[in-house]
Amino acid sequence: MSPSVGVVVSWWPGIAVALPLVGVAVSAATGWSERRRASVLAGLTFGSLLVALGLIREVLAGRMPEVHLLHMTAQLWMVLRVDAAGALYGATVAALGLLALTYAFGYVQPGPRRARFFAFFMACLACTLGVAYAGNLLTFLVFYEAFSVLTYALVVHEQTPAAIAAGTKYIAYILVGGSLVLAGVLLTFFLAGDLAFVGGGFLPVDAPRGQLLTAFWCFVVGFGVKAALVPLHGWVPDAHPAAPAPFSAVLSGVMVAAGAFGIMRVVFDVVGVGLFTSLGVAPWLTAIAAVTILVGALLALGQEDLKRRLAYSTISQMGYLTLAVSLAGSGVMAGGLVHLVHHAFMKGTLFFCAGLWIHVTGARRLGELRGVGARMPLTTAAFTLAALGMIGVPPLSGFVSKWWLGVGMLEIGAGAALAVLLAGALLAAAYLLPVVYAAYFAPTRPGAATGAGAASRAGGATPTGDPASRGAREAPWTMLGPTLAAAALTLAFGLGSHLRGFPLQLAERAVLAWFGGG
Amino acid sequence: MNAGWAEALPWTIVLPMVGAVLTPAVAARRPRLAGTWAWGVLLVASALASGLVYQLATTGPFSYDVGGWAQPYGIELRFDHFSAWVLPLLLLFVVIVPFSWRYLDHVMPDERRPAFYALLLLNAGGMIGFCVTGDFFNLFVFTEVVSLSSYALVAVGGRGLAAFAALKYLFIGAVSSLLMLFATAQLFALTGSLNMADVAGRLADVGGGPAVMVAFAAYAVSFMVKTAMFPVHVWLPDAHAIAPSPVSAVLSGMVVKIGIIGMLRVYQVFFAADVLELGAFNQTLVWFGAISIVMGAFFAIFQDDIKLMLAYSTISNIGYIVLGLGLASPYAVIGASVHVFNHALIKATLFLAAGAIIHQTGLRTLSDLRGIARRMPQTSAAMAVGAVSIVGLPPTAGFVCKWYIALGAFESGQAPFGFALVFGALFIFIYYVRMLNAFYFQEPVHDVVIEANEAPWSMRAPVIVLATLCLVLGVLGGIPLSFVEPAVLELLPFWGN
Repeated sequence: MSPSVGVVVSWWPGIAVALPLVGVAVSAATGWSERRRASVLAGLTFGSLLVALGLIREVLAGRMPEVHLLHMTAQLWMVLRVDAAGALYGATVAALGLLALTYAFGYVQPGPRRARFFAFFMACLACTLGVAYAGNLLTFLVFYEAFSVLTYALVVHEQTPAAIAAGTKYIAYILVGGSLVLAGVLLTFFLAGDLAFVGGGFLPVDAPRGQLLTAFWCFVVGFGVKAALVPLHGWVPDAHPAAPAPFSAVLSGVMVAAGAFGIMRVVFDVVGVGLFTSLGVAPWLTAIAAVTILVGALLALGQEDLKRRLAYSTISQMGYLTLAVSLAGSGVMAGGLVHLVHHAFMKGTLFFCAGLWIHVTGARRLGELRGVGARMPLTTAAFTLAALGMIGVPPLSGFVSKWWLGVGMLEIGAGAALAVLLAGALLAAAYLLPVVYAAYFAPTRPGAATGAGAASRAGGATPTGDPASRGAREAPWTMLGPTLAAAALTLAFGLGSHLRGFPLQLAERAVLAWFGGG
Repeated sequence: MNAGWAEALPWTIVLPMVGAVLTPAVAARRPRLAGTWAWGVLLVASALASGLVYQLATTGPFSYDVGGWAQPYGIELRFDHFSAWVLPLLLLFVVIVPFSWRYLDHVMPDERRPAFYALLLLNAGGMIGFCVTGDFFNLFVFTEVVSLSSYALVAVGGRGLAAFAALKYLFIGAVSSLLMLFATAQLFALTGSLNMADVAGRLADVGGGPAVMVAFAAYAVSFMVKTAMFPVHVWLPDAHAIAPSPVSAVLSGMVVKIGIIGMLRVYQVFFAADVLELGAFNQTLVWFGAISIVMGAFFAIFQDDIKLMLAYSTISNIGYIVLGLGLASPYAVIGASVHVFNHALIKATLFLAAGAIIHQTGLRTLSDLRGIARRMPQTSAAMAVGAVSIVGLPPTAGFVCKWYIALGAFESGQAPFGFALVFGALFIFIYYVRMLNAFYFQEPVHDVVIEANEAPWSMRAPVIVLATLCLVLGVLGGIPLSFVEPAVLELLPFWGN
């Protein structure tokens, strides 16, 4: 039975986007104490999260809140409209954003750049929420371009030569991608005369095949840059280590996902499942996704820098979502959407932990992590939990999403895809467990050399021996709290996956709109 | 028909001209009064122009016969949808003039101020006349008024290479004007008339042929030089970079546009007469437009001087407009016509912001200005808004134009140019990223930059107003569109073939 979906005019989606934007002004306001600024920013983001959760409720009640933002010209207008997929992604963005923001209060060093960090962080958050709730391609494009460009300031935050280089690489990749998306949007408008998302697609089936294919590949390659599909992933491993840890978490957790979310929107709400299948592009997309999963994971194996290793892991894990889209089966797509949410919190946890290790001990590289498990037991426990989740150990959330992906693949007889899925999980074990091993079990080596980054982070103390084995303690609660909360969510999403309002229910609702009850 | 505001049409031209002549007298004792006087004159002129636009919006295009002489013989002033450009043009002047008050302190001695403002008023008056004149001879006369005052304005700073740049501008500009005079004479010889509407009618009787073609080609080349399209752009970068910043804003934003408006006027006549096969010509425009976009961006990337960079960026943007005209499909021409205005706004923002920075620091290269955003946050933010608009990120003013022109490329079946435009914008982004990177994310290297202060309010306010407009006109992009659309649709049935 298909639930009737009614569009209702509601300001709430707009408010969810506007609250973090207010935070931009708050960040820039001079003369506020840090404490006051922090509580206001957290309050605004929390408000945004509450609205996002409220929107989930609305969607589950069968309503589709919609608000028109502005009409630029007769062709160009912006609208926010919350459907099940958008509500799910939006809530994820707001929740991870709140955790990362809290974490950042402890992580980002005081100084003139601190205010800049928070201003851009809040702006990025607002725009990512806009991407989640966008009701047509133009709105999607506006918010997508905006947060992509704003992200630049956060990648280069530390202004080291490495960060500037990573930022340049990032902006070059992203702008080329953005231009392709714009070309796709233009072509779509030219072909369809409209841009509003429709479950089941709105591109005319009888349009010239060449133009449809051009539009499709413009979108896939454009969004693929953001989603880190393999030949286009170059910016990811550089940008993540360069960015401050709380932003790496958001970047990996929800912003790379925005690219995959874009591909999903295009396939299901612009092209439509029927046309997508008849165009014959699905096998190609499947192949790209499979290559992404495997190559990402294999490259992760060789990384000595922990944040780089995690960045490659993101490339691999986001491939699952694209794989799910390309298979165009209702079950597998529901699994893919669930994976988007679960991955966000798992990867968030992992990056938070990596940041804590850097913050407290200065350890960036795997070899420097020896013995950190004894010094920082809670952090290491959180990392272990999320790593196990990422591998897919039951009953953690990563297991649930991979289970649904796997079952969905079997439903449509995609055995090869299932093999890729399992290989990816195996490789995830191979690239994450050594970190856990190093933290808990590797013997400490007194007198070993330390990385250059370690000295600067360690705050003046002359490092001797493994940085992790010096008298380091757990980080303060502003940072440890969000880390543990994200880890707890990893567990909770696993245990409660069938509860009402949890990702699975929403994902099924979303899939229903795209596959028409089938 | 209520023709109330039509009476104001001649006064809108006469007022700045008379104001210009009176400036030295008014400011004889107190040279600094000249700026206020010029501002006052422009304010009144823009009030008149608002009335004209109001009249246009309520009753459609209207004419005014100078001295009451009937049309084919008397001088006709005609206010149609393309003429509506005079209002934003005057408003931009109204914003730019207050900026120049303090800016000129470092540029020229006080006693030269009256001459400067007189030239500026003359320039404004010339452009207004150019937009509203209904006959070809006056089109030429007003072109000359604009051009001559522009040459002088480039030289007025009087430093180093200014005279040389002005001279180069003059030589090339004079060739272009000669071509225009020749074309006008040719048309008169063919039709025995100079009134545009009348010429259109008579041309239809004359028919096509090489003589008409030569007249058209002479106009086209002349206007393309004025607008600084790629192969004939050589005069622009030096002139625009060396002129004082408010003048750069006027030149880059508005004076180059007379080439485009002139082209549209010539189109109106030749298409109404329907005597020429223009497919090949349009194709040429498309190619030169695309090349301009790329070459302008290419040269800009290698500039270290911010004003020189902005000057090359103008060539790129003119490329957009020319490309849009050449594509000859409704969307493309609408986009191009709107870009005439939006580019003026954005480029004025950029030049004034750059001017404010140069005024405060005395430095003008990217490598010297590193880290300036820390000390001049508002001006730098305006610069960033301008950069984002000119690159055409949604939802800024530049995006609307880019959208329509690219859509027009698909519409006319020349999709590769749509892609060229989208990726040309990318190319343009490279040098603006360089600029913003230097301003925001690099450590200062000069003491002047570390100790710089925000510009005085008389300079900061215009910059902020313009930057805000860059955003507002993206959001309300429909307004300029609504003025251009009817004119373009009227033009297009005769277009392209």
